[in-house]
Amino acid sequence: MTTAPVELDEPRADEHLAVDSPWVTIVWNDPVNLMSYVTYVFCTYFGYQRAVAEKLMLDVHHKGRAVVSTGSREEMERDVEAMHGYGLWATLQRADD
Amino acid sequence: MGTAFRRTRDGAYTCTLHRAEADLLRSLAGQLLELLADGEPEPRPDAGSDLLAEVLDLASPEPPEDPVLRRLFPDAYADTPAASDFRRYTERGLRDLKRRTALVVLTDLDRAEPHRDGRAVLRVGADDAQAWLRALTDLRLALGTRLGIEQGVEPDFDADDRDDPRRYVHGVYEWLGWLQDSLVRAVMR
Repeated sequence: MTTAPVELDEPRADEHLAVDSPWVTIVWNDPVNLMSYVTYVFCTYFGYQRAVAEKLMLDVHHKGRAVVSTGSREEMERDVEAMHGYGLWATLQRADD
Repeated sequence: MGTAFRRTRDGAYTCTLHRAEADLLRSLAGQLLELLADGEPEPRPDAGSDLLAEVLDLASPEPPEDPVLRRLFPDAYADTPAASDFRRYTERGLRDLKRRTALVVLTDLDRAEPHRDGRAVLRVGADDAQAWLRALTDLRLALGTRLGIEQGVEPDFDADDRDDPRRYVHGVYEWLGWLQDSLVRAVMR
């Protein structure tokens, strides 16, 4: 880790927002994946309790999509890549979009 | 018809497959491997033209043309430039992952010992169960895409038309789902 440079100017509000604004991973409903398997993936990859994973799976199934994780853009890219590895249809976007 | 997966005392998973079922799985996994190798950019003879791409082993930023590959490697962003960038950095690794999981299926099938009655006991080690779940997913995604199974849309073939080959493919698709569900349940029990 490098030493932070001394800040001469106050960061502009929008830059500040861009850094802090969280990103989300969204899993979309698809007609192929089994409900049991989607629950398994949420338990296995995210470490969610069975009840949490089942609730998310049902959200995906009934509402068409669910936010399954929140964090930095890099973290969400990692989660989306993992979801694609499991065969789930996932995208990422800013939390406020 | 074979039996569902169940967990054994030593933590592995077993099921019984008919020879025809084992052959079918082998053939599907082999076709998936071929498809995953398809559409990958050929190594360029003029090395150095895109040194960065070679060093980093980058994939093409374009989405694959085959609808099955597009479903296996979907866009990560609604926005095209961001989706292309993501694809460049991830698709190669994801293809390798999916190839490895298909190879686990082929290896386990080769180890399954056939009995005289044509059935074979398939044994999947605890560490390989996830590879099987992933591979069965990829196979179902592939067949589902080819069958045109979409959200809220029934496949447009006649389930009673014995001459329609999609009827057979749909049966295979359903069977893979049944087999996968039995393995998920055994793993999560």
